Amino acid sequence: MADSRFAVGLGLALLAGVALALAWAVAALLSVDRAGDFETTYAAALPAARVGDLVAGLALIAAGGLAATQPRTRILGVLSLLAGLAWFGADWEGAESAQPILRSFGAVVTPFTLVFVFHLVLAAPDGRVRSSAARVGVVAAYVVVGCVTVARAVLRDPLLDLYCWRNCSDNSFLVHADAGIANALDQVLLWSALAIALGLIVFAWRRLVGATGPGRRAMLPVIGPALLVGASEATYAITLLRTPLEDPDRAGFAAIFIARSASYTMLALGLAWTVLSVSRTRARLTRLANDLGEAPQPGKLRDTLAAALSDPSIDVLYPRGGSGELIDADGHVAEPPAADRAVARITRGDRPLAVVLHDPALVNEPELGRALGSAAKLSVENEALRAEALAQLRALQASRSRIVETADAARRRLERDLHDGAQQRLLALSYDLRLARASAAGESDEELVSILHAAAAETEAALEELRDLAHGIYPAILTEAGLAPAVATLADEAPIPVELGTLPPERFPAPVERTAYVVVDEAIADAAGRGATWLGVRLGRDADRLVVATEDDGAPRDGRLVHVADRVGALGGSFNLADTDLRAEIPCE
Amino acid sequence: MRVVVADDVMLTREGIARLLDEAGIDVVAQAEDAEGLLREVRLKQPDVVIVDIRMPPTHTDEGLVATQRIRADHPTIGVLVLSQYVEPSYAMRLLEEHPERVGYLLKQRVFDVAVLVDALRRINDGETVIDPTIVSRLVGRRRRHDPLAELTAREREVLGLVAEGLSNGAIASRLFVTERTVEAHVKQVFLKLGLAVNPESHRRVLAVLAYLRSDPSD
Repeated sequence: MADSRFAVGLGLALLAGVALALAWAVAALLSVDRAGDFETTYAAALPAARVGDLVAGLALIAAGGLAATQPRTRILGVLSLLAGLAWFGADWEGAESAQPILRSFGAVVTPFTLVFVFHLVLAAPDGRVRSSAARVGVVAAYVVVGCVTVARAVLRDPLLDLYCWRNCSDNSFLVHADAGIANALDQVLLWSALAIALGLIVFAWRRLVGATGPGRRAMLPVIGPALLVGASEATYAITLLRTPLEDPDRAGFAAIFIARSASYTMLALGLAWTVLSVSRTRARLTRLANDLGEAPQPGKLRDTLAAALSDPSIDVLYPRGGSGELIDADGHVAEPPAADRAVARITRGDRPLAVVLHDPALVNEPELGRALGSAAKLSVENEALRAEALAQLRALQASRSRIVETADAARRRLERDLHDGAQQRLLALSYDLRLARASAAGESDEELVSILHAAAAETEAALEELRDLAHGIYPAILTEAGLAPAVATLADEAPIPVELGTLPPERFPAPVERTAYVVVDEAIADAAGRGATWLGVRLGRDADRLVVATEDDGAPRDGRLVHVADRVGALGGSFNLADTDLRAEIPCE
Repeated sequence: MRVVVADDVMLTREGIARLLDEAGIDVVAQAEDAEGLLREVRLKQPDVVIVDIRMPPTHTDEGLVATQRIRADHPTIGVLVLSQYVEPSYAMRLLEEHPERVGYLLKQRVFDVAVLVDALRRINDGETVIDPTIVSRLVGRRRRHDPLAELTAREREVLGLVAEGLSNGAIASRLFVTERTVEAHVKQVFLKLGLAVNPESHRRVLAVLAYLRSDPSD
């Protein structure tokens, strides 16, 4: 309640400020009309300048009033309003029929137009001057221009000023006339105006170059005209440093005045546009909050938010319970946010629900949190829970496939050990037995020959069994030659006719080949067990999946081939069984 | 006959060398990997090389790769590949590029020194040797509509021997019939199975193996 009353009060104060400003402006123009033969303002000298003068000042005041109604741009609004008022200071100074005190006051405020605009641009988009260098620049501008104008008001007697033109008669603030110091102060004022104008150009340029896509788009309406203000004010200062006597009838001075008016007008329009687009964004956020509250779309929060804020680079991440990791909506673990991203936290009570990574120029953090009401937060919470569940699923999937791969690796090692160890030793034993038998035969020891013959036969039988065992543990040809030769061998050895379609000749990742092999092997055993007289096998690549399909003419299945399904599932594939058909799809990339 | 033996397992290498020695075959060098084998082949120019299919560094198909190098660089040198796997794919890959002077035998086959020596002589004579276990597995392969059923028992026997790489003359002496009879059988078999390849060519072994492995009923 206190907040809203404060807002209403502030709004009224602002309205009063705007009204006062308009009165000031109208009075200034009336005084222009009453000017004598001697032209003391640009507005009096030139119809175009009169229009430009009026439009620029009123635009700054109007844009300022508009900006001041929004909390985010309130400071910018006040600065723009002040700049507009100061802008009309020159008209007051030159108004010959006005009170001397008003003419003197006009001369004091005029130099502040540039200072207020300098502050405004450096404080865009939300009223905060971010870098410490910029803060120093703003403070220095206020201090220097403030001190110089006050000193000048106290010391300058217009009658003694060689280059006076707007007001050569009155100075209500004069305490002690010193033409030398007053002249020097004029020079200081011009130099500081030049410095501020150049500072404005440098700062605006760096903001523009440093920003990223959406942020740059958002800043351009203010930063772009700021460059023009800097350029026209710098030109003005340089011209006055070279030609101290300002004369609105000279084309150069008139052109500079028109350029200054135009650039301030554009800046004011840019500010107004920014304010309107911020409130558009807020309206979108409110709509978004309603949408989320009414119809949550799982996994789509990021896209919805990106569209609402027109920031395609936006990321929505969810903190994982306990670990402090951030995960995205699909449950993938995300990198920690980069330093140049703004982070907005969405919380429920003091529990973090989500973090939104966005472009810092677009929207400020409390607004996002406020805009999402409790209904929307419920859907964000749903999304966070969904992401958590997906992350767990992913971890489980990874562990399943690791178990399968570890088991395969162990089998492969066992097969290799058998091949390189026991089988080789049995072979060597066999050679020795053959040699011994040959030498026994040479000595005609028939009994020994028959014993050695039997031993050699036993050894061969053992080798044969060992070979089959090793092949059953892990088919070496699968690793060595690939899926197609290995499946062809399965068909060679099958107890029922197996017809193979065209086999894909390429190699696949080892777990994929092994799984496809197991599917075919088990399908053969299953079909034979159901009394089939024939099994058809199709193996083929379909985009990023290896598809194994079989059909047979056996009795309908009642089992579910659970271990084959598990193996396919461990690689994230799908496994479907019908009465006599089987289809496995294994991701292979 | 001069022979080089290559096998990474010393026991096997020595065993084979001693068996061949007993049989009066001159083992001029031994090698423990493919690189050593190729060097010995260049130096010693043997008649036949015996090579294990699985050798360092990857223990996969180094023997087959070395065989292709030897057959390409030294067309007169024959190669006998030894393997512990009953794998028609390997045997067929061996025949694909160089269908003559090569052989594929299961390792335990060489226990029988007579079989080993016979294989070496046949390879040296320009023939092909395919292990009977592989051939019988392919002939015995289950088929839905078995075209082999149309062959007589004698024709099937001849088909098996052709697949093992025997020449008509060798088949004739194995079956105690004349070479002309064998020729007639072979022609009849090729006709019945619809095999397009010339029954007299070196390519006939591969053609028969491929036929046996395919699904001719489709």
